[in-house]
This record gives sequence, C-alpha cells and structure tokens, in this order.
Amino acid sequence: MSDETPPVEIPSVDITVDGETVAARPGELLIDACERTGTYIPRFCHHSRLEPVGMCRMCLVEVDTGRGPALQPSCMLPCTPGMVVDTESERTRKAQDGVLEFLLVNHPLDCPVCDKGGECPLQDQTMAFGPGESRFVEEKRHFEKPIPVNENVHLDRERCILCDRCTRFAGEVAGDQLIHFMDRGGQTQVNTFPEQPFASYFSGNTVQICPVGALTAAPYRFKARPWDLEEVESTSTLDSVGSRISVQSSRDRVLRFQGVDADAVNWGWLSDKERFVFEAYDHADRLATPMLRGDALGNRAPDGDALVAAPWSEALGVAADALSAAPADRLAVLGGARLTNESQYAWAKLAKGVFGTDHVDAQLGDGLPAEVVLGLPRATIDRACTPGGTIVLLGPDPKEELGALFLRLRHAVVHDGATLVELTPRRTGLSAHAAHSLRVLPGGAADAVSAMFGGGSPAGAAGLSAEALAAAGATIAAAVAEGRPVTVLVGRPSLAEAAGPVVDAALALHDHLPEAAFLSLLRRGNVHGALDMGLAPGLLPGRVTLADASGVSSVWPTVPTDRGHDAIGILEAAAAGEVDVLVLLGADVLADVPDRDLAERALANAGTVVAVDLFGTPTVARADVVLPAAAPTEVDGTFTNLEGRVSVVARKVTAPGTARPDWAIAVELADRLGTDLGFGSVDDVLAELAAVSPIHAGITPEALAASVREGVLVEGRTALARPDRTEVPVNDAYGLRLVADRSMYDVGVLVAHSPSLAGLAPGAVAGFEPSDLSRHGLAEGEVVDLIADRGTVQVAVASDPGVARGTVHLRVNQADVDAGRLIDASAPVTGIRVGRR
Amino acid sequence: MGYFRGFAVTFKKMFERRVTTSYPEQKRDKPARLHGRHVLNRYEDGMEKCIGCELCAGVCPANCIYVRGADNPPDDPVSPGERYGFVYEINYLRCIHCDLCVEACPTEAITESKLFEFSFTNRSDAVYTKDELVVDASTGRPQHLPWEDWRPGEDEHTSAWMRATSPSGDATYTGRVSWSGELGHGVRAPEVGQAGGAAASDDGPDDGPDDGEGPA
Amino acid sequence: MTGAYVPHAAGYVDNGGPKVVSSRFVHEDSYTLERSLATGGYEGLRAALARPPADVHAEVRDATLLGRGGAGFPAGVKWGFCPEGVWPRYLVVNGDESEPGTYKDRLLMERDPHQLIEGCLITCYALGLSQCFLYVRGEMALGQERIAAALNEAYAAGYVGRNVLGTDFSVDVTLHWGAGAYIVGEETALIESLEGNRGMPRLKPPYFPAAIGLYGQPTIVNNVETLANVPWILANGAEAYKRMGSETSPGTRLFAVSGHVKRPGVYEVEQGVTTFRDLFYGDGFCQGIRDGHELKMFIPGGGSAPWFFAEHLDLPLEAKEVGAAGSMLGSGAIVVMDETTDAVKACHRMVRFFARESCGKCSPCREGTSWEEKILARILDGHGRPSDIDLLLDVGDNISPGPYPVASHPDEGLDAVPFPPRQTTICPLGPSSVAPITSTIRRFRHEFEAKITRGDGIPVSAAPSGGEAGS
Repeated sequence: MSDETPPVEIPSVDITVDGETVAARPGELLIDACERTGTYIPRFCHHSRLEPVGMCRMCLVEVDTGRGPALQPSCMLPCTPGMVVDTESERTRKAQDGVLEFLLVNHPLDCPVCDKGGECPLQDQTMAFGPGESRFVEEKRHFEKPIPVNENVHLDRERCILCDRCTRFAGEVAGDQLIHFMDRGGQTQVNTFPEQPFASYFSGNTVQICPVGALTAAPYRFKARPWDLEEVESTSTLDSVGSRISVQSSRDRVLRFQGVDADAVNWGWLSDKERFVFEAYDHADRLATPMLRGDALGNRAPDGDALVAAPWSEALGVAADALSAAPADRLAVLGGARLTNESQYAWAKLAKGVFGTDHVDAQLGDGLPAEVVLGLPRATIDRACTPGGTIVLLGPDPKEELGALFLRLRHAVVHDGATLVELTPRRTGLSAHAAHSLRVLPGGAADAVSAMFGGGSPAGAAGLSAEALAAAGATIAAAVAEGRPVTVLVGRPSLAEAAGPVVDAALALHDHLPEAAFLSLLRRGNVHGALDMGLAPGLLPGRVTLADASGVSSVWPTVPTDRGHDAIGILEAAAAGEVDVLVLLGADVLADVPDRDLAERALANAGTVVAVDLFGTPTVARADVVLPAAAPTEVDGTFTNLEGRVSVVARKVTAPGTARPDWAIAVELADRLGTDLGFGSVDDVLAELAAVSPIHAGITPEALAASVREGVLVEGRTALARPDRTEVPVNDAYGLRLVADRSMYDVGVLVAHSPSLAGLAPGAVAGFEPSDLSRHGLAEGEVVDLIADRGTVQVAVASDPGVARGTVHLRVNQADVDAGRLIDASAPVTGIRVGRR
Repeated sequence: MGYFRGFAVTFKKMFERRVTTSYPEQKRDKPARLHGRHVLNRYEDGMEKCIGCELCAGVCPANCIYVRGADNPPDDPVSPGERYGFVYEINYLRCIHCDLCVEACPTEAITESKLFEFSFTNRSDAVYTKDELVVDASTGRPQHLPWEDWRPGEDEHTSAWMRATSPSGDATYTGRVSWSGELGHGVRAPEVGQAGGAAASDDGPDDGPDDGEGPA
Repeated sequence: MTGAYVPHAAGYVDNGGPKVVSSRFVHEDSYTLERSLATGGYEGLRAALARPPADVHAEVRDATLLGRGGAGFPAGVKWGFCPEGVWPRYLVVNGDESEPGTYKDRLLMERDPHQLIEGCLITCYALGLSQCFLYVRGEMALGQERIAAALNEAYAAGYVGRNVLGTDFSVDVTLHWGAGAYIVGEETALIESLEGNRGMPRLKPPYFPAAIGLYGQPTIVNNVETLANVPWILANGAEAYKRMGSETSPGTRLFAVSGHVKRPGVYEVEQGVTTFRDLFYGDGFCQGIRDGHELKMFIPGGGSAPWFFAEHLDLPLEAKEVGAAGSMLGSGAIVVMDETTDAVKACHRMVRFFARESCGKCSPCREGTSWEEKILARILDGHGRPSDIDLLLDVGDNISPGPYPVASHPDEGLDAVPFPPRQTTICPLGPSSVAPITSTIRRFRHEFEAKITRGDGIPVSAAPSGGEAGS
C-alpha cells in the first residue's frame, strides 16, 4: 500500500460505442472496454484470465475502423482510436442470434436435470440475445452421458459448446494439458486421452468456468439448484494463501465452494483441495459435544480408556481445575493455525496474559522461527509475480502445498516473463519453466547460496557444479543490477531437514540481496495470523517481542518475561514430564509434528491434555478434555495470509451440536479462571487488537468492509533474529539423506474427511535418483528397510529422476508408511541407510 | 295473515330443489380442473417421472415443497435419466393449490387430483412425503391413504407428460418430441397446438394409440 | 494440334501451349535429378545465386507472380511483408492440396519435384531464409515418395544443404506429411499443424503469417504451383514471363478439369487468353461436354467458389475478370456438370464435404455446416419442408452474412451473392459451404421445391393451396 508508485496518467483511446464516446485503454480488448463502460457484449469463450481464442463467435459486433462496418469478434479486437462500434445494429443482433441458434442446435434440453440450470450463461444469454424458437428438427448429436474425466469432474459432451475454456485453463493456467479437442466438424468433442485421466490438482476450476453444464463436479452433483443456494464471500482457511471463496449453502449445509476473483490473491482459481474440503466441515464425524475420559459404558472415569460426552460446564470445569492447579511454566499451548485472527488473539491473551506462560507455539515443528518470518522484508504475491521479476524458490513445491499460489507463480513465469531460480531438493511443479533448477542436498542450501555469490566452496554444496551455481547467481545479480524485483519464497522444503539450514540460506540470501523481499511458504491455514497474534514463543500481538510489551501491558493481566519453548521444546518438556497441562488448539501432534516418536512420548508423559478440535483425531483420542470447536464456515472473523493480508472469514452455517468458536472457548475458560477477557463478540476482539497493535490499527470492520475482496495488507517487521548457524554433518559416501515433503493429498484429517479427496492420496514410495538405485543394487518396486537413527520403515522403492543424488524422497502423512518414524527433530538432517530384506 | 306469510316461504322451499347435501356422507361433484392433493406420476414401465429438478419448489409461492435430487442408481434406476427425486415433500398446511408446480414441471411428474379436504391431528402429518404422493405402482392411480376420504372421480385426470430429454442418457436414442405413456393412463393424445399434435406438420397425428384421456 | 493424355502423368493433357511448370511432364523419368538437369533444371537457381538476393526478389515481384493457392495474392508482394530485423524466418510450402476436384499440385510434386525444390531454394535465397518446410498432404503417397527421393538427390548433389553450389548460401528443406485434413490448406492451420498442434486456423489479426507465423516468427506460406513458377522466372526473366497471359495475371496456370467433359484432365493454360468456353469445348482441351449433353453449371475454382452457368462461358481464365463476375479461380479446380446433374444432390455433396472437413473450432462453421448438410440430406430423403429453402439461406446468412434473398432482408437483391464472402467464422471454410447453396438455390430453386413433397410424391409447391397451412 505504502510503496505504490504515484498514479500515472493512463493514456486513453476514444472509441464510439452505440453512439457514445467512451475512453478505452490502449490495447484493451473491445469486449472488456465495453463491459467496463457499461455495455455488455455476450460471450462464452472469453474469460478475462485466459488468452482470447475467438471461438464461440458470440461476441461479434459491427465495428467500423474506417473501412466500413464489419462484424468482428470483440474478444479479439484491441481498441484503436476512432473505432465505431454498434452492439445493437440489426446485423449484430442477427449474428448473435444466429450464433446462439448454432450453439443450441446440438445442445440437449436437459436443463431440468443439469447442475448448471439456473446459473447457466447459455440459458441467460439465450433469454437475453437468442432466438425464441429452434428451427432445428433433426436429431441432436449424442454422446454417452457424463463420463468421469477424473474422480471429481464429470464431462457431458452433449452439453459442451466447445468454448475452449477448460482446455485453455488446463494448458495455459494449470499446465496439465490432459483434456483436449478430439475429432472434427460436428463431432468435435472435448475428452481426455485414452488411459490418461484429467489428473490435475486444479480440475475443479474447469467446472466453475464452464459456461454450460458440460463439466460438473461430483461433490455438488444434484445436491441443490442455484435458486436454493445462499452464498457469502469468505476466505479459504485451508492453506496460507487465503484464496477468496464464495461459500454456498442450502438448508444450513455447505454444498459448494467457488473461487472468487481477488486480483491480488487467487484470481478466482482454487486448488481442488480448497474447493472440495467443505465436505470435511460438513462431515458427520465432527465433534459435537465436549468429552471427558470415561469407561466403556459411558460413565465418567478420570483414568478411563474412552472419551464420553459431557456438558460444557463440566468439561470446562475439569480443564479450569487442571489449569489453575499448574504453575505457569508447566503450562503449554500448541497449535492455533486453524483459528481466525480473533480466536488466536483471544487464546494468546488467555495463554500469555492469563496463564502467564510463553510456552506457546502455533507451528508444530514443521515451520520456521517466527522472528525470522516476521523479521525478513515481506513480499506480496503481486510483487513475486511482477512481470519480468525474479523468483528464488527456497522451499517446498508450491504446487503440492499452496495450490493457488502455484497458479499465480506459474502464470508469472510462463506468461509474464518472470525468471525462476530453484534451490530445492526435488523437482517441483515449476521446474520445467525455471531458468535455473538446482537440486540441493538437505542441509546444503546455505552453502549453495554462498557459492552462488562467489563465496564458500562449491564442494560444500554437494552435487552441484560451481558453474551451475555461479550461473544462477549471475542471473539474480543481473536482475538486481537492472532494478528488477527479486522475491525469495522461503519455506521448509523437507520435514526431515531442520529449520536451521533453511534459515541460514534465507539469511545468506538476505545478506547478498538486501533489496530482495521474502514470501513465507508456511502452509498451514492461518499460521501467519498466529504469528501476528503472538501464538509463538517470545512474541506478542502485533509482531513485537516480549521485550516490547507496551501495547498489551495495560490490557493484559500479566505478560510473560522470559521466552518460552517452541513446539519441539514444548514436546520435549512434555516428554520429560515437565508439562502439567498441554492445550492443543487443533494440533494433531501425532500426525503433524515431523518427529513421531517425540510426539508420542510427549502425549504419554504430559499431565492433563486439553484438545480443542473439530475431529476426533488420534491425538484427540488421547486427550483428557475435548472441547468441540466451530469450523471456518461456522465462524465470523478474519484471516491473515502469507503476505500479511487480512481478509474476512464469514459464517454461513451453524456448528454441529454445541461446538463453539475458539475465541468463545477461550473466554469461557478465562471466566472459570476468574478473569474476564472482555470479549462478547469478534468485533470486541478486533477492537482490542487494533488498540494494542499499532500495525493492526487499520483493521477495523469498516476498513475490511470497504476492501472486502482484496483484504487489507498489514505491514511491519520485527527485528530480524539471527539464530546460530546450524552445523550440518558431512554426508558419507554410502549414506543417503531423507527428503520428506508433503503432497497435495495425504491422510491428514481434513482430506481424510472429504470423501471426494480421501482416495486421491498417492501413497508413499521411496524415490531414488536412478543412479542411486543402481548403486544400491535396488530394483524398482522392491520393498526395502529405510533405516534412520530413530527408526525403520518398510517401503517400496521407485526411480525418480526428480530427486537429487544422495537423497531418498518420501511423502509424509501417507497411509501405511509413516515417514515421521525416521525423523529426529533435534537433528539438522536425517541420514538414511538402506537395508535389503 | 302475517303468520301464514311466514310459512309460505317454508312451503315454497319444500317443493324446490335442495341445495344442501348431507356432507360429508354426500359430496357434490367437483369441477373438472379442481386443484387438490398432488400426485407424482409414473411412466408405463413403473419408473417415476420426477427427476428432482426442484423447479416446482422454486416456483412455489408458499414455499411448501422440498425436493432434493440424487444420482440415479444405474442398476436399479428410479426414473429415466441421470437424476431422480430423492426427497419430495409437500407441506399441506402451507399449500395453496395454485397449480404453479404443475405448470413448472418439465416432465409432467406432478399433477393434482381433486381431493382437497385435509384434516390432520399434528403438524408432521400434514407433510406428505414421496412415499405418499407417488401413484400406486400397479394401477398408476393416486394412493388412497387410510386417512383420506376419496370419492369416485377424484383420482381421475391426473395424467400428462411430454418427453424432452433423452431417456437414461442413451446415446443411441432416436427420440423425438412426443408424448409418452403413463402408468394407468396409456398414451395421451396431444392437444391441439401442442408438439406432435394434430396440427403439427409432418409426423402425423397418429403417433400412438389414442386411448388416453385427452380432450376430444 | 489436339493434345493428348501423357500416359505416365495421370490426367495431364499436353495441349501444346506454352509451358512454364509442366514442361517436363512429357518425360517418363521427369522426377529424377538426371532428367531435371538434362532439361534445364536448377538453371534458375544458378541464375539467382549469381545475383544479389534483392534482385531476385525484385525479379519475382516484377513478374507479378500471383499466388496459385486460391486468394491470388502477388507472391513478390507477400514476400515483402516480413517485419524488419526479426529472425529467424521460415518458408512454408503449402502442399496440402485437398479441395474437391483439384489435383494439379499433386502432379507437380509427383512429376517434377526438383522444380518445386528449386523454387523453394530461390525463394529462400531471395529472402535470406535458411529453413524451408515442405508440407505435403498425408494422402499423397506417391508425391511424398517422389519428393523425398528428389530431396535426397538434391542434398547429395549439393543443391540443398550447407553452401549451396559452393556459395555462402545454406538452406535446409524439411518435409512434413499432413494427417489428412482439408482445413490444413488454410495457411494458419497449416502452421499450427506443422507446430504439432491440432490443425485449426489461427485468429486474425495478424492477417498474414508473414508477421507472426511458424513458432511465432515471420513466415512466408506459398502454394506449390506458385513456387514451381519461380525457377522459370529466374531462368527466363520477368519480362518473358509477363509476355504470357494477361496484363493483370501474367504467366500460365494449371487447371484441373473434371466432371462431364469428354477429356477431363490437368491443362496448363495461358491466363486471360483462354476462356472457359475454349477450355471446355476446345479441341486441344476438354473437347466438349460428354455426348449428347448440355452444360448445366460449373464450379470455376474449387468447392468454395460460387458456381457459374452457361452465360459465364466466355469469361477468360483470369482472376480479376472471374472475380468481377462473382466467383474465383481459387485453386484451379473446375468441375463441369451437365443437365443430368441433380443440383440438390450436387449441392449436398459439396456441403457434406465442408461439414466433414470443418475443424470444429468456431461455432457457426462447426454447427452451421453440419446443420446445412442435414437439411439437404433430409430434402433428398424426401422429408423436406417448404420452409427449408429459406432456412438454408438463413443458416448460410448466419455463417456468411450477405444480402441473400431471405425473409429478413427482403429488399436485397436476389442476384447478389457477395464475393469475397463476409464471414462470422474465423476462416473461409464455413462461408465456402454457403457458396454452393446460394448458387444452386438462386438458379435451381424449382429443383429444391420439386423434392419437397408431402410424402405422397406431390411437391408441396404443386399441391392445392391450404393443405399445408395448419391452424
């Protein structure tokens, strides 16, 4: 907001539309200029986020560019000075009428059973522009009715009007050209190639942009009609991109998420996971009542094996008793990335301001130190995607973790001339378009960065030639020299590698490129909100450290003085019996903490475990007190995305049973502890946040309402912390290093509870670079032992040319194979030996 | 004399036709197009005509219809085509019998009988579900439910349908716009001015057996 | 001097007139390098290489060599459309000849591939290109075989490749076989196909691929016959070329005549001198309509041209005059039909071709052509409706808006078949399907009406009035 260039005078081109002179922008397409100035030209193939193709011919208008009026497709025609356009002439009308009749010639009249019926552009435009009656008396074209092109998308070729939107999306935007035109003439159809389903993470977008009901989504199939849907615009809280969505419900059940075109964020696109995850929120397994330990007969028993339903008063009482009995430094709060900003603030106030503990961490040992994320200069997505800019990827594959961001980055690299330099241990979804795609060994990124800029020995960046590194460095240096923006995307490329080496590399990049801005790739939900609200050790709301408690000290009963443990520290303390009460805010530590062994020991040895969650996860099953929380579709509040952009989360349906918003649970608990948090509504929380945090002073309901789609960017940095450099042990010639990363679909609780997504988890195989495979004498598909210091897993091996030599790749959170058994959170990297069975 | 004049009216009326009936033992005949309790019709093969499109619910001014569609089970389809009415409920405490649902129905699935006298002892009884609304699977006539008081003629003239979609999504279907048969009623002759009717140009008026209930 | 079929050149008739491109057809081994060299082959290339490229370009421009692919645009002018300073550029040879009735390019490729290659080389030299793509229709098996063999011979003999004939000029010619689609004859679709994509026309603007063509680079697309003329021009000079033919259309041209003439075949004809009457009835040419029959109509330039009738017979075979008369010489495919021809059937055949060959990209062509085909098929099957004739014209009007005699434009003349056609489509294929319909309905409306019966064999138009009105 602040560093925007002053508004420049945009030159305009005067054109005449239906007798009125309007100012178009140079190069603007006629159809867009007309729409912007209030004249709607009908269209099917034109989509503002796709390249024009001019296929449907619906947008023909009579245009006179000095050579006499002629019918021209307005979606292909850039405005030129003096252009005279008649959108209502007899010829225009007749052409549009004719095109609509052609489109309807083979379009089946099954609108009553079609999911698009009622919100169908073909229906609407036929009503507005079309012929009243068909003159077509022949048999219509017939194809087999809906064929599944993948698990979630059905294709009905009879309804297709061949506008090329889905195929263009697949090729241009997603890069998965798995659907295409086949046959010709009247038999032209869209289809997949034989034996190749439309296996794209983004296939749901084609359903949304289809102008007819040819592509329909299985999760919404026949669930409702458009006229009984109610919608509210909200933010997707699934990942930290914070895509804008429209939440659509009928009879108090969410039936659909649709992407909303926020120019600064997701451009209307959603990953299938963001789109279909509503099924999980609506799932019958949601926790609906508080639970306490009990016996198999359902009676309360503090040491019972089971959880039994209990009233809120009793459950809160048990939790409050445990909390009030424990000294502050034996209390810990883990998690909170699922929560809205308001809930996070309420919990931060409860934990730090009421309990007085600083053992609070919203990240679960899978992120980056909060002071580094908040201390590096922050970039926006738009800055990262500047045409001609340079992007350095030092983190996970955005395609697997942050789908909507991937589409923005891909557009920048493929269509807008951005240059991509990758420093990743494994090939990513963007590697094909990268200028330099360097495979870095786990722990080697910092050395690679030094070598890129002429320092350090390339030997330290094992596996990479000095030339390749220098070339990548030169590319970045050239961009800096020309004043083009450099943006570093920083995140954890592998959960089997500690945060330390990544932080070292990021800081090295910061030192070499002081102008570069950083975009955090921390993935989990509202994790950036959690950092801003102080759900991290050593931090308070407003991106300030404990030392700077001036904001909250007047409002909070107490403020901790000493920095507490981070997530790994909390779990280690719990494992050592030093935590009396462990509060889990939606933290499924048994699945989310990379180190499985540590998480299990911590749960076993912690005192009272209070879990606030949506689902009865394995972690929740071991809790003493379970408090059901409301899902994102059931609460009002705000969300902070990875840019620091605050946008509105809106309530659409009621929570199951007696589940409550997390902030209300915090208020109740505080009440039991004798403190009034002072919140009666989310607006109260927002008001207090604005009062205590200067950077959030502008986050008011009015400001959010004024910028509902783009949200409000919160800017401000903490002092950059420089952790000690992490020493990475030298890899021996026969050892391998583990690369454990996430894939889009896994057995995580939300995916597992979304029936449309649950089956898509790819499963785990151990990916070896082909030469490593032969070096170890392994055959593809062979099941081997992967032996780490921590443990052993059995897994089938596969040849994967996308991994670096000397590494083994394993996806985390997959059924059957638990990569977490191999990972030791205290080690910088995870060494692996291969055992033949 | 005034006394007798009073009786004169009585005597006169004794010889006129009586307008009262001993309701409910006797009921007067109802008009041919009276709007009464709805029925959900079936095709001749027993398939339900309702496709769960919710147009009736969308058009209902009293908001008394609740419909949900579902994917037709391919091995045991409920209706022809992809979709069938999975839930169908009409709340007769709200229904005003305006017949707009019948007008809106693209498959002529919902029509009205002439039964209009309802009485219920609790609110949930007033909500008719699909099980009650759908016509009898063997006769195609409205079900005579135990609590309803049907009189002869009240369950007639509940039929009509026009096929617009290709049944079962069959790609080899060579259908054309025409009337289809209906369980219990056969094929109804199209009315004048309707597609396939006597006035249409080339397909001829004799498309099917004319044993239905169409107007002369 | 009556001419004769040349036995080994299927369909070619040597009519004894001046020859530019078919001079070697008489030799049985005309496709070999040996015969080519013996008959002046590659002399044009040698002449060209001896001069600066700009001179060569100027020579061709001076010769007013008109494109032979259909549009008739001067090749020398087209060559000058490449934007300055944008490299690389490509030459693409359009050998995807697939219009109904045309087989002249096939003969050129089968009978004299060296002449074509020489033409490509001269063009590349004139424009400073080093890469030429020769796109040959997929079905032309013999042509592909001959041209591949010839190219190998030429490479071996040093005419193609690095340092042609010892000069600094180097060029590569790449052969590409089509996959069998008429639409690929459209130059932008050809480029798409060459790039490995589905053969669908690109959008205009840019109107010429000379600006943005193959792989986004400036690209010159020329027809086979156009380039086959180039060696002769270089060998004999533009002046000699212009002495043949008419002033606006110099040189000769190949015409492939088929249909109801006594001697169908490919004829090399001086442009503007010979008339249709000469060609159809001339002794050295087709020798008249087949026995005992009269000319009913003819297609002057491929399936997409509006049809001509007896009154057009005295038009010279020259693009401008034919264009002024409302049609085009197009691809040089002339189809002659006598009075036994059923106009509706002929129209249906032609429309069916376009319906099948429509690429499916834009709606008016994809849906419109197959709809027209269905209506015509219905009329032929005896299920026509009286409204169908106007419907055909109106559907045509929606593909190619023009002043046709339709109900919506009652005041516009019946004779005005607009040419060149206006179009709601991306490329001219859709409007091409309209030409046969408007041509036949305009002239033979009674034949259509005769086929529209009420199922009893009596045409609706002949039935007593009131029978059809309905109520």
